[in-house]
Order: sequence, then C-alpha cells, then structure tokens
Amino acid sequence: MTATAQRPRLIRQDGREKVTGAGRYTADVVAAGQLHARFRYSDHARARILRIDTSRARELAGVLAIVTHEDVPDVLYGQMVKDRRLFAREEVRFDSDVIAAVAATTPEIAQAAAELIQVDYEPLEAVCDPELALEPGTPLIHERWASYEADETMERDGNVLGRSTIVRGDATAAMAGADVVVSSRYEADGAHGVPIEPRAVLAQWQGDRVTIWSSTQTPFAARSGVALTLGIPESHVRIIVPLLGGGFGSKCDFHFEAHVAALARKAGRPVRLVFSRREEFVAPDHRRESIAIELQTGARRDGTLVARRARLVLDAGAYCGEGGFFAQLAAMHAIGPYVIENVDIDSRLVYTNNQPSGSIRAPTAPQTCWAVEQHMDELAAALELDPVELRRRTLIEEGSESPTRQVFGPVGIRHTLERAAQMIGYGQPLPENEAIGVACGWWPSFGMPSGAYVKLNGDGTATIVTGAQENGSGAVMGLPLIAAQVLGMRPEDFSILCQDTDAGPYDSGSSGSQTTFNNGRAVAEAAGEVAQRLRELAAEQLEIDPLDLELAGGEVRVKGSPDRSVAISELAAADAEILGKGSGAVPEQPACSPDSGCLGRLGMESFLEPQLITHAVHVRVDPETGVVRVLRVAAAHDSGTIINPIGANGQVHGGVVMGIGQALTEGMALDGHGHQRNPHLLDYKLQTAADAPRIEIAWIETPAVNGGPNGSKGVGEPPSVPTPGAIANAIARATGRRVHRLPMTPERVWEAGR
Amino acid sequence: MSASLATASTVEQALAQLAAGARPVAGGTDLVVGARQGKAPLPERLVAIHRLAELSEIRESSTEVALGALVSHRRCSESGTVRDRLTALADACAIVGSIATRTTGTLGGNLMNASPAMETGGPLLCFGASVTLRSAAGSRSLGIDELLAGPGRTTAASDELLEAVSVPLPPAGTGSCYARLEYRRQMEIAIAGATAVVTLANGEVTDARIAMTALSPAIGRAGEAEAALIGSGGEPDAIRRAAQALAAAASPISDVRASASYRRAMAVVIGRRAIEAALARARGEWVPVPASTALHGGVR
Repeated sequence: MTATAQRPRLIRQDGREKVTGAGRYTADVVAAGQLHARFRYSDHARARILRIDTSRARELAGVLAIVTHEDVPDVLYGQMVKDRRLFAREEVRFDSDVIAAVAATTPEIAQAAAELIQVDYEPLEAVCDPELALEPGTPLIHERWASYEADETMERDGNVLGRSTIVRGDATAAMAGADVVVSSRYEADGAHGVPIEPRAVLAQWQGDRVTIWSSTQTPFAARSGVALTLGIPESHVRIIVPLLGGGFGSKCDFHFEAHVAALARKAGRPVRLVFSRREEFVAPDHRRESIAIELQTGARRDGTLVARRARLVLDAGAYCGEGGFFAQLAAMHAIGPYVIENVDIDSRLVYTNNQPSGSIRAPTAPQTCWAVEQHMDELAAALELDPVELRRRTLIEEGSESPTRQVFGPVGIRHTLERAAQMIGYGQPLPENEAIGVACGWWPSFGMPSGAYVKLNGDGTATIVTGAQENGSGAVMGLPLIAAQVLGMRPEDFSILCQDTDAGPYDSGSSGSQTTFNNGRAVAEAAGEVAQRLRELAAEQLEIDPLDLELAGGEVRVKGSPDRSVAISELAAADAEILGKGSGAVPEQPACSPDSGCLGRLGMESFLEPQLITHAVHVRVDPETGVVRVLRVAAAHDSGTIINPIGANGQVHGGVVMGIGQALTEGMALDGHGHQRNPHLLDYKLQTAADAPRIEIAWIETPAVNGGPNGSKGVGEPPSVPTPGAIANAIARATGRRVHRLPMTPERVWEAGR
Repeated sequence: MSASLATASTVEQALAQLAAGARPVAGGTDLVVGARQGKAPLPERLVAIHRLAELSEIRESSTEVALGALVSHRRCSESGTVRDRLTALADACAIVGSIATRTTGTLGGNLMNASPAMETGGPLLCFGASVTLRSAAGSRSLGIDELLAGPGRTTAASDELLEAVSVPLPPAGTGSCYARLEYRRQMEIAIAGATAVVTLANGEVTDARIAMTALSPAIGRAGEAEAALIGSGGEPDAIRRAAQALAAAASPISDVRASASYRRAMAVVIGRRAIEAALARARGEWVPVPASTALHGGVR
C-alpha cells in the first residue's frame, strides 16, 4: 500500500460553492407563492392536554392554515418503538412537543398566530432524572407503553425503553478472586450535534404527490416517515436534499417533513419551515444522551482483566426516535476493545420528560469511552502500572475473543496505541500543569444495503447516480475515486447526482459512518458493469478477447500492448446505453454466541470490522481557574485502507475538535424540570477555530477482510470517540484529581481540585 | 419586524430621527443578534448611523484620546496610543466577541448596550473617561460612571446620541490591564473580569483604580481594593489583599455560566492577575495584548 500522502488528492466538487457562499441550502430554495411555517410547542415538559383552541389564531390576517392532530391520521411512529404522534393529542412529554403548526404569509405572522393558539393543560410532575425514572412509584412517561408496536428484540418495561445485558462467565466470583478491584462512577451530561445550518423543510404538492426539500441526512427514512404518518404511498413522496450544512447525526431519521407537508396540503400552497438556532437546540428528537456509568473492574497483578461489572443508565428522553439501540451500543462500549474474561454489563435506556435522544456522531461512545478510559487509568494506578502498559497488555488482537465470543480478525488497535504514544512523545518531561493522556476506543462498521448507477455520457465523462446522502463529510464527494479506479478514468471525469429519492436507489443515508463502506461498494459494482460493457465493445473493435483488455488512462487497451487501444469517449459516443448498476453483497455480521444471560440482542453484540482508535493528547491546566487548553492531539486510527486521504484526515480534524468540545465546554444545562438553560451558541460553547490544537494523524491501515471497497472500514464517527477520555486522563495526570462529570468545565475541574 | 430604517448622512439628520422616536444602529452586533434570539424585538424605527464619518475618528492630543462612537473594537485595539497608554482598553477591545464582532461592532454601541459583562466598561471607568451626548437641543458631557445606570440601562435620554468617548491619558509610570476568565479563546463573554490601572512612582503605588466586570449588577470600582494597593510597593501580599477586597465587594450571581462561589473565587484570581499585569506594565515589562489569553496558566 502506498503512503496515504501519495494517493490521489481529490478536491471535492461542492467545495468551491460552499466556501464562496454560492452554495444553495434548503433555506435558500424558494417556491412561488410559498408560505412560512411556525410551530406551537408545548408549554410544559409533562402535561395532559385538555383543550386546543385555534380560533383566535385562525382569525389573524395572513394565516392560511393551522394543523393539529385532528388534521392528520392517528398514527404512531418511531424507529424501534412507535410511541409518538406528529402532533401531541392527549399528553405532552417534553417541552418542545409539537401541538400545532401554522402557515402564514410571513414568519412573523405565523409566529404571532402560533402564540395565539389557546392550549389548556393539566400540568403533571415532570420526570427528568433517568435514574429516578427507574424507581418504583415514579409515574410512567408512556402509560400505554405495553401497547406500542415495537421491534420484538427490544427488552422493555415501563419507563425502560430498552435494556441490554452482556454476560459472560461469573463476574462476581472472578471479582472476588482478583488481586485488585477498582470501582468508579461517572456521569455524562447530554450534548448536541450543532450543525451550523439549522434545519429547513419546504413542501410542495402537485395533486396527491408531494415534493419535499429537506435538510435531512437520511432522505429515504424521511420519505418513509412522511408516507407512514400521512397515510400515503411512499411513491407519492419525493425527498430532495439541497446542500446540507452539517448534521453530525442530528439530521438523521424523519423529523419535520410531514408537519410541513400537512400544512402545505391544507393551505394549498407551498410551505417552508426554517428553524431558529434555539429551535435547532430544543425541538429535534436528536441530541446526545446523558449517561450515568458505574464501573467495577477486577484485575490480576499482571494487568489481566478478570472481570468487569457495569451499570449504565441512559436518558432516552420522551420518545424512542431512532435511538432505540443505544442500550446495547453503550454496553459494547462499556467493554471496549479489551480482552476481559468475565463480564456482567447491564445497560438501560430510560424514558424521561427531557428532549428525546438520537444519534449524534458515534452515539453512546464518547461518553462511555470517557468513563471506561478514566477507569482504566484508575486501574493502572492501583496496579502500579503505566496506563499505556496496561492497555498494551489488555487490548484485543487478531484471534482475541470478545465477551460475546466474537473472534476478531486482523485488528490494528495495538499499533494505534504505540503510534499515538510515539507521536505525542509519551513519557517526555513536561512543564508544571501540563500532562499527556491516552485513550483507546472502537466503533463498528455497519453493513447495509445500498445502490448506485454509473452511466457513461456521450462525451466520455460519467455520472454517478446514487441514493447516498452527502452530509458535509465529503463521503459522497469521494465516490468518483472509486469509480475512476475501476474505469481507468480521472475522478474529475465524474459528476454526481444524489440526494433525490426519485433518482437514486435506496440508501440508508448519511449515518453510521457507512457511505463509503456501503455505497462505495455499490458504486464499484456499478462501475464494474460499465467496465465490462466497455471491454465488450472494445473487444469487437480491436478483435480481441475482452479478458485481454484493461481500462486505464481513459482508454480500453490491450494488456501488454498499450498502443492497441480505443478511447472510452469514442465508445461512449457510439453507444448511448452504457449504464451500470450495483449494490454488492452486504458484508455479513461476524458470528458470535453470547451467553444465555444476554438480553436485548439487537444485532450489535458483535462488531463488524471494528474501527479502532487511540488518541493521545497534551493539555495544559490552569489550576487556579480550572481552564484546560488542549495543546496537541495525536490520533492513530485503524479504519482499514484509506481511500480518500484528504477526506479521511478532515474527519479526524473535525472529530477531534468536536471531541474537545464535548470534553470541555459542550453540555446541555438542564433545569431539572425538562428545560434547557443554554439553547444558544453563547452558552452552549462550541470550540472555535482558535481553540483547535495541532492535530497529527496516523493511519494504521489493516485491510478489512469483510469490509468496504479496497479493504476499507468507516471513518466518520470514530474520531470523536476517545478524545474526551484522553483529555480526562491528561487532566487527572496534570492535577492529580479526576473529574467525574462531562463536560469537564472549568468550574468542575476547579471544584475537583479544591 | 422594523417598520422603518433611515440612513443618516449627517449627525443632524440622525438627531432629528432620534427626536422622532428612532433608535440608532451602527454595527448591529447587539441589536440584530438580540432580535434574532428574541431577547428584544427590533425597534419600530431605526436610524443607521454607520456612515457618519465624524463619529468614526480617533483624535489624539497630549492630554487625551477622543474615540468616536463608531470606532470599532478592532481599530481601538490596534491604535498605538491606546495600546501604549490605555493598555487595559486595548486588552478589552481585543477580546470582544470574534474577529467579525470586533471589526463590525463599535465602542459606542458596546457602551450604550450597557451590559454588566461588557469588556470596555471597566477600563473606561478606571481611566476616568467621559462621553459626549448630543441631542437637537445641544451637547452634554458625562462620566462613564454617570452614564451606566444598571443592566441594559444608561442615563442618556432617548433623543441623545453618543458622539465620542474622551479618555484622559494617565501619567507616566502608569500600567493597566483588563483580564477576564475565558472558557474558550474566541466568542467569549465575561464570566468574571477585572481592570487594574496603577501608577508607580519610585517603586511605590501612588494611584490605583480597580474595577470588576460581570461580578455585580453594574461595572463598578472597588475602593477597598484600590486602598489596599495605594502606598504599597506592589508586593504579592498587597496584591493578594487587593484581590480579596475586590472579591469581597462583588455580588456574583449563580447562572448557567458559573456558580456564585466559583465567580467569587475567580474574582480573586482574575483580580490578582489583572493587578500583577498592570504593575508589570507600569514597570515597563512586556505583557502581550490581549492579556487574558496569556494569563491563563501563565503569568502569576
């Protein structure tokens, strides 16, 4: 494999329009005669609705439509548990449940009308602490939970939306026999994805069909949601995504497309919704879940991990949304990429009256990894071992068996550890108040169906038509590299048509680090079909067996005799029907055989081609104020073969900075009654460009056996996984005190040091 | 939504608009963002004053610097005289918001917005600055302490326009610093801030002015802190007593940004650092502008 620096440098096609401001996002799309939508949100985190009176709002001049639950079919939706209506009917369960939507000639009139809607409530005591929600006697967030349609693998019980356990051996007995036992409790606050583009939706009906422009990461899920909740066929719904200004998971799944479509249908005019920054913080059913994490690990003197016990309580918020799988994913992260002989992991995803949780870049992983990696450093201290040495002795390697008895293939986690330690200069003497911390983590690759077409144009260029969605990561923009390699053409010879459900084949969208992994495979297969057709056509012209031909330099040529060739453009001009389609075989989930005590098996009890990461960070702590500055980050990743180095490096840069934010400044401040106190960018503190440290990257390229194109794995989510843990360990080394709550704000660091 | 927006091309036009009920807008960094966030609706009637060249000047004499109301934070922080003689003001202007805010936002707007967390208020108060307010009826001059009336409030009448801020140049041997607690390096708002202006003669502190920012309902000087320093040689003990007096005078609140107890503890730390940096500058030692960035984990 050539060094990544020597591979093609692909400048993404959407780059120039984005940096020059010429790019058009959903909020820039205008339909003739369009109206503006505003929502009436619930005024309480938990209340019974007694009456909704829209009469005064309707009388306001400029109001053309108001929609409530009465205007749409009574349908429950939700990915693994169907527990939510588009518009609240009997009860509101968080403070931004939507009660009504208004369409008016201006956003201001729509807002005024939304405020004129009279809602009578019987306020109920809000349940906002997930651990309290588990207590007997606590009110049920969903009284009729048992009647909900749900994925049969979900282990549900009252306020427990989903429970997963991983059990292997006898952790209690092993713990009793361990040389050293360490116990810890950590709490991570909720957080947000904070895409710079607040979401927008524009819906326009033609007859009984609706076209919806939406800032979604998952157009096909949005289409399904609209069809389900409005009771119309999926084929009557077309979702188009203009440029997407970031998502980080928060724009996954179906969100507000159906609300706006219902408004547009009732008003008989196109309707557009553009969220304010405040709404972007509080209203989506997507934010990073808070987790309370209790860990206990027993080890032998040599570091062997004989037992781990873990209890995790995750805040699901008011509804399932698409986050139903979080309990199992968190359980897997409570183990991490380590060999542990006996485990007893119990993870519960719990309903509360808080904003619903949903996938934000590597859901459950950064928080759980932050706790586990601090816990590992605490264990190292108890064993009087260096933290890197303890990891060296306990990380998985090829042939290791996971607690669910998955046997790993080639995995480069130990190489990432050594490389990150080397890059950061681990062990070097440092000035006072400075320290280095290290953390390891993992994240699965997700094998999913995906499709693409590649069609050759008459001028010798080609167009990739794909159902994949570009969320800003550059994954779709990188697809030409894969097609170009197959066809012997240049990446810049390809245009891309994507983000239109009526054009491209199904794809699960920009989620789960899966675009290159799955759609790359589809594009490679589609390009392969085109290549095959080109070889056949060229074989006729050159009067030679197609097997003796190769595609390179824009030509089909005879292997070993490059002079005998025919230009691809010539073949394309002569035949208008050169079209390939592909999906490829979805990689199979690795076999595993969890012990019988494992509950809530959702399919993540084994990790397909795990992406493996070590981050080492160098921080400076101001002990008097608790302010922490990250000076350097060394990031070593095994994401298999790297296809597009510029894009992959960009994911690490962004993920590291996002991880620093989550570590130090980004957290939802809740008031205990279901309201967020910092739903704006002044007090929800993202890291700025000025805060970004020097970031060094090493790719440990262990080709994936069962992976994506060319032995690749995913790359989008892992960079945000171990950064908070590494920073936490650095803070602890610099100050001698551990911070047990995330984010590790200056006040919390200062408090820990008192 | 604003009903009308007029652009003034002379001060007289602007004053006529104000007299008719309009509110002024210059950089708009507070007004527009506040309206977008729903903090305060845009006024019904606005007069844009950003083209009034006479309000954009920095006039320097041997005794004072007069900063037009439209001088941006960036220009103020880059002025040689401000950096050399009114260093605390340069410290403050160099850390307001982001580069974009500093380039667009004006000193006049920052003052008239009267936030208890405003960066420039402490330095201007300590330097004894005054403002010129003008209305159709005439002009008057007010000290900064007389202008600021509380959170979001000033004593200016609604038809008065802030024309300029006059800052007397302190005597030789004076050093100053504005420091604040910063959770991140840009886009920050003061959670605890302190200004120190000290004059040294033969190694003795002959004058000290110390003020706190975001630690009380209005930016104010702390007389006991000043008294603890005056007459001392700027020894660590005197600095510590002054910083503690500053914190004792604070009335910090608990909110989403910090608890009252943390704010009070930070008043001591940030106060001490501001005084130390001001003394260092008075002695001719170099402390970079803005001081806040360098102070975190740096100067003791």
